[in-house]
Amino acid sequence: MSSDNVIEVRGLVRRYGELVALDRVDFTVRRGEIFAYLGPNGAGKTTTINILAGLLHRDAGQVSVCKFDIDREPVAVKQRIGVVPEESNLYPELTCQRNLEYLGQLYGLGRSERRGRVDELLETFDLTEKASVRFRALSRGMKRRLTVAASLVHNPEVVFFDEPTAGLDVPSARTLRELIRTINRRGTTVFLTTHNLAEAENLSDRVLILIKGKVVTEGATDEIGRQAAGAEILSVVFSAGIPVDALRAACPAVMSANITDEKWRFEVANVHQATMQIVAWAEKSGLTILKISTETPSLEEAFMAILEKNSAGSEVRR
Amino acid sequence: MSQIARALFISRKDVESYYSKPPLITWGLLFPVVLMLAVYVKNPATYLVVAPGIIGMTLLFGNTSMAAIVITWEKRSGTLQRLLLAPVTHRTIVLGKVVSAAAYGAATSTVLTLGLVVLLKMPMVHLPVFIVGLLAGAATFALLGLIIAVRVREVFEAMTLLNFFRFPILFISGVFMPLDALPAWARPIAMVSPLTHTVELLRFGVTGRSWFPTPWIPILVLATMLTISWLLAGTAFRRHANR
Ligand SMILES: Nc1ncnc2c1ncn2[C@@H]1O[C@H](COP(=O)(O)OP(=O)(O)OP(=O)(O)O)[C@@H](O)[C@H]1O
Ligand SMILES: [Mg+2]
Repeated sequence: MSSDNVIEVRGLVRRYGELVALDRVDFTVRRGEIFAYLGPNGAGKTTTINILAGLLHRDAGQVSVCKFDIDREPVAVKQRIGVVPEESNLYPELTCQRNLEYLGQLYGLGRSERRGRVDELLETFDLTEKASVRFRALSRGMKRRLTVAASLVHNPEVVFFDEPTAGLDVPSARTLRELIRTINRRGTTVFLTTHNLAEAENLSDRVLILIKGKVVTEGATDEIGRQAAGAEILSVVFSAGIPVDALRAACPAVMSANITDEKWRFEVANVHQATMQIVAWAEKSGLTILKISTETPSLEEAFMAILEKNSAGSEVRR
Repeated sequence: MSQIARALFISRKDVESYYSKPPLITWGLLFPVVLMLAVYVKNPATYLVVAPGIIGMTLLFGNTSMAAIVITWEKRSGTLQRLLLAPVTHRTIVLGKVVSAAAYGAATSTVLTLGLVVLLKMPMVHLPVFIVGLLAGAATFALLGLIIAVRVREVFEAMTLLNFFRFPILFISGVFMPLDALPAWARPIAMVSPLTHTVELLRFGVTGRSWFPTPWIPILVLATMLTISWLLAGTAFRRHANR
């Protein structure tokens, strides 16, 4: 077991009656990274978080969080992790300040440490003015911010975010993303689920994609696009319109072609071959190439490609 | 910091959240006070026969209801999950919830008792036994309330389930009807009802007399019931808290 792995999961299985919600899931999360755990609705993301956080029992597999087995030493694990659940679940009748203070008590912070920490968090999350407002009276964005703050009261080693920005307006979501980045920069490992793939691409170091309880791919965020799409994108702007069928015929390395505005996007098997073929064809056809560049498919494109590939199995529930 | 300290933080927060609402205290007291007055007005000479029973009944209803409220309400609103995420054991949560629920019933019963002592000059022959009865009964009823309430999600469901056993035992536990007057078939049930033993301890505290020859019998029985409920509550909580 490497000392740099904060979470290690091997052969994790969870069933709900007949349904296999997690089917032999394996992954590791390294210390200090932002790990995006992605998948369509019903993939098993929340189930995974609930098992890792000790809310739910597993049917098989090994799970270690911060080096502790969650079944055998739940209190040790819980002391070291923070969870931002799908639904904000703070006490509606308590004020912002009292909510954080209470959690500080439950996590065993001493009185003065608690005071300092609560004030600091209210400040960081821009809720100082709302300190004595009851949780139920906050706006959705503020509730979400306080829920994140609440997960940090005890300076956890890892924080699990279950769709932290769902339902937030653009500025609030952006602020929250910024905060997640800040938390991570200060050394906290982040486990993130989200349906916003741009957000995942933007924040995460590594990505795992889960479909119907099975891991379908895992890797560095900037690699996953290429891996998943199985192709590179070559984008080219020509001096004039082109007969695309002629180009396709002359350039076997081009697998598909489509145009937006003036820009052609060619899916290519091999960048070098395709470039040489396109240049040669342009030369012969008397066309000038104004611009040529490679693009990596976005995480969203990769995600869609993976979903299509697994479409026999993927099913949207809820 | 120890788990016990954390349990007390849980209780304190519950007291803040739920009990500080005045209507709850008033409602908890209203019914027993009205009942007590009715008995007293009818025949001032015999109110002492039922007073310990009514104090016991206040404990039973107050504590089981409160336990039901603190558990189902938090389950529904999702806040119970907060406790399950926190570094506390299930036993710690049960302890925290039970202490706060028991405190509620103990407090309302104490207010009722003080009222009886001050206004009706109710005697208090053996205060320590009275206190033991009050506390042991409070804890047992709170645990029983929790064992039942943790299985459901709605307060009314919990109340309905609770009423299945609360009302029947009210009539066979020596509250309104002396144990001697019970039909033979009801006796054994009376003996396994925690309310019987609570009421007899309270009766001994107030009047110095009890159906049992010595208060040690109900004390031991209640201690046993308390232990069993504690174990059952832990299991019930582990099994049902996260549903
Ligand atoms: N308590 C439960 N009882 C039965 N089935 C459940 C339960 N909770 C989840 N499931 C099922 O397990 C599967 C995984 O659910 P889970 O909530 O983990 O998905 P998710 O990836 O978090 O989805 P979403 O993106 O919609 O939040 C789903 O098919 C869901 O219906
Ligand atoms: Mg989910």
